[in-house]
Amino acid sequence: MLQRTEGIVLKTNLFGEADLIVTYITKDYGIIKTFAKSPRKVKSKFGSSLEPLTHSKISFWGKEDSSLPRLVQSDIVYPFHSLRSSLGCFLKVSEILELTLNFLPERDANNRVYSLLLNTLRAMEMDCRTELLLLFYKLKLLDFAGYLPMLNSCGRCGRKGNIFYLSSGTVLCNRCAKDSAPSKSLSPAVISLWMNLLGWDMNKLGRIKPAEKILQELTALIDEHVKYITERTLRTRTF
Amino acid sequence: MPGIIENLVNELTRLPGIGRKTAQRLAFFILSMPEAEALSLAKAIQTVKEKARFCSRCFNITEKEICEICSDNSRDKSKVVVVEEPSNILVMERVKSFRCLYHVLLGALSPIDGITPEKLKIRELIDRVKHNGIQEIIIATNPNTKGEITAQYINELLRPLGVTVSRIAYGLPMGSDIEFADEVTLGKALEGRREL
Repeated sequence: MLQRTEGIVLKTNLFGEADLIVTYITKDYGIIKTFAKSPRKVKSKFGSSLEPLTHSKISFWGKEDSSLPRLVQSDIVYPFHSLRSSLGCFLKVSEILELTLNFLPERDANNRVYSLLLNTLRAMEMDCRTELLLLFYKLKLLDFAGYLPMLNSCGRCGRKGNIFYLSSGTVLCNRCAKDSAPSKSLSPAVISLWMNLLGWDMNKLGRIKPAEKILQELTALIDEHVKYITERTLRTRTF
Repeated sequence: MPGIIENLVNELTRLPGIGRKTAQRLAFFILSMPEAEALSLAKAIQTVKEKARFCSRCFNITEKEICEICSDNSRDKSKVVVVEEPSNILVMERVKSFRCLYHVLLGALSPIDGITPEKLKIRELIDRVKHNGIQEIIIATNPNTKGEITAQYINELLRPLGVTVSRIAYGLPMGSDIEFADEVTLGKALEGRREL
């Protein structure tokens, strides 16, 4: 059965002599892996449309539940080429792609994450130096995927608290914490930034400039949380 | 099928581009070959596995300490072409008009796959540039995302050393039609245009 959708290339893996396994996040099917025949040959019909970050309209052939359908067509909608042509930008974008791959299951459409990724790539094309955008993406992705840590109140009973417990993935009040080992005491500024980032639209990000220290503190906390959940350091972080 | 033939077919299907049917055809061809020829093939495979190693200068495949290309005094030793894999050298050598040295990185950077600069032969390239009087480095990594970021990374490291760093040209393959080119390839071809 021929299926059509639009998607963004997250990753490619070499397969055989000139073939590729292309991992997409798609609008209608979530994350899918497809098999592309001979795109590495000079005169391939796919051209540069299978490069990471390329937003394209794709058609693939296979049974509905096929684990590796065959990619038959890929027409570029927008290549996001400028994000690939700068090493610094590409490193930041790679972290976004790796997080997306880690937190979304295959074949489970999530339109909110798809739109979030597309809008984040568009925003990064304008300015990829901002750390705030990267943090914004991480928080929203964790929220949409169901792994967002609760920072403004106790994650179990809703009472006030400001001590974060890594093993529980949330702030806990004194009563709920009991024997848990606390990981970090959070400042009101960090909690406020967390709440604002979750409440804001992406287009409002440019208007605010949080203190560097607060931004780093929240980023470090979220990175620790991600590491605890995935049980490993992100590969992009080892670069 | 007899067990020994089945075993040979299974071994042959490990090769790239060889499916089960082709493997069966090859297996029966090997069976029909004169014994000396078949054993010569087996011996060649054994020898290459025993003797093949990386050249200590350029990381090309060789059976000696230094490969034939690095030992060839007729080559232009002021220019080094940087490629991803030893197989790329074979293709480059088809260009008879360009005879210089090579450096094989043994891969390309890929942050998402955890391929960091330490896993490639980049440090060795920098050492060659520092100590061997090289004047130009021509980066011929693949024209894809991994190849591009590898080229950029190497360029950033080499620029302070005062060596000329160039990148192979981008554009359309000879014999193709512009009509079928995608926008990124065509954009690169236009950016890299030159005066006639």
